[in-house]
Amino acid sequence: MQPSDTLPVQIKATRKGFTLIPDRDTPFAEILTYLERRLKESREFFQRSTVALDARNRAFGTDEILQIHRVLKDHGGASLAEVRLEEDLSFWLDTRNGGSPLDSKVSKSKQQDNAPLIVKHTCRSGMQIVAPSDCLILGDVNPGAEVLAMGDIIVFGNLRGVAHAGAGGNRSAKIWALSIEPNQIRIADLVAVPPRGNKPTPKRFEIAEIQNNLIEVITI
Amino acid sequence: MAGKTIVVTSGKGGVGKTTTVANIGTVLAKKKHSVVMLDADIGLRNLDVVMGLENRIVYNLVDIIEGKCRKEQAMLRDRKLNNLFIIPAAQTREKDAVQPEQMKELCRQLAEEFDFVIIDCPAGIERGFKNAVAGAEIAIVVTTPEVSAIRDADRVIGLLEASLLKDIHLIVNRLNYRMVKKGDMMSTEDIVNLLSVPLLGVVPESEDVVISTNRGVPLVHDRGSKAGIAFQRIAARLNGESIPFDNGYGDGFLERFKRLFRG
Repeated sequence: MQPSDTLPVQIKATRKGFTLIPDRDTPFAEILTYLERRLKESREFFQRSTVALDARNRAFGTDEILQIHRVLKDHGGASLAEVRLEEDLSFWLDTRNGGSPLDSKVSKSKQQDNAPLIVKHTCRSGMQIVAPSDCLILGDVNPGAEVLAMGDIIVFGNLRGVAHAGAGGNRSAKIWALSIEPNQIRIADLVAVPPRGNKPTPKRFEIAEIQNNLIEVITI
Repeated sequence: MAGKTIVVTSGKGGVGKTTTVANIGTVLAKKKHSVVMLDADIGLRNLDVVMGLENRIVYNLVDIIEGKCRKEQAMLRDRKLNNLFIIPAAQTREKDAVQPEQMKELCRQLAEEFDFVIIDCPAGIERGFKNAVAGAEIAIVVTTPEVSAIRDADRVIGLLEASLLKDIHLIVNRLNYRMVKKGDMMSTEDIVNLLSVPLLGVVPESEDVVISTNRGVPLVHDRGSKAGIAFQRIAARLNGESIPFDNGYGDGFLERFKRLFRG
């Protein structure tokens, strides 16, 4: 029998639902099987409850979060509503409850539905960031990284990866960056690929927006 | 005091991880540190060949982990330096013969006995990578000035940061100063700028590397080799010695050389 502090996932009850706290060193597959077993054992206990995933101690990939989401839904009838990343950074998968945090400890400013997602590091190859509204990145977006936002994307650094603003179909969304030299740039349903060859260095920053049904990059 | 555990990784294959491990290990051993090099590339072992020790292998890494031998039995002593050891990987097994937790425990035990434990990571980001990284405190990411290698290095740095390994250093391998000057190759500055991790050193492109690999003698034994000198400086920096990067061009030997002629 394992001591309680090394369980693959700790499940804590809060006022508004449950919080999952995964162990740092347990392999992901083990976490998933353990979670599945616990959900099966407790039958309908978790039915229709909202669950938050505390990912502050352990990094999860987007695909892993989706797998947890699926397991919760299929085996417990519960929905994963919130993923907590760092003290000041959370995002919501389920916006039906107005995006209000399940745990009141998360800062108040995040309770607004349209609060931007702030990423305070460089987005490296293989990273995918999905923001429910605007997305602010303090660092570079490197080739191979993907940023997807329902609203605008603002990059305080070089945008070299893939950026998709207005992913929900908002054609007035814009992409702002100190320098835009991406693999590909998307706004709403339009896709643009930068022309080949060296481009002149931007003056201060660049904006990508839709003009006459085409994505244009303007330097200011 | 426990020794340092260092993993040498890259994501992409063929950028010079094994060469880096062999040379850094040899230099540190020459500086009178006790060093063990661990080949974590199970199924595709190379480090033993580069060190010229392939015909001495009896036991390997998987044998230690499975308890078939003591770890001392699997260690091969270097031909020249008696404080340098390698633990070869198994050639007939696969990566999942080892668990990350087991590697972690082995690295912890080795770090108690040795000043430096250097792990040669396989290419890729799957199980083999996770095994190699599990027990390390310091990571050295090797890249070449090619977009594909840099992209993979970026991904690897992201994964290292996600696994809470924060002490990451960069080596730019196989840089051709002439091509950089002509604008045909990415410069060290561009690479460091993109990857934003501290630079440990730059190794110039050299034919000596191929010759030394084929002979099974690490480059740093050859005093005339520029790439060998680059590795010596890298290992010295790793050892905590402060060696300046001249003219912002990494270890710009060629630059210095040219300055000599220009007067």
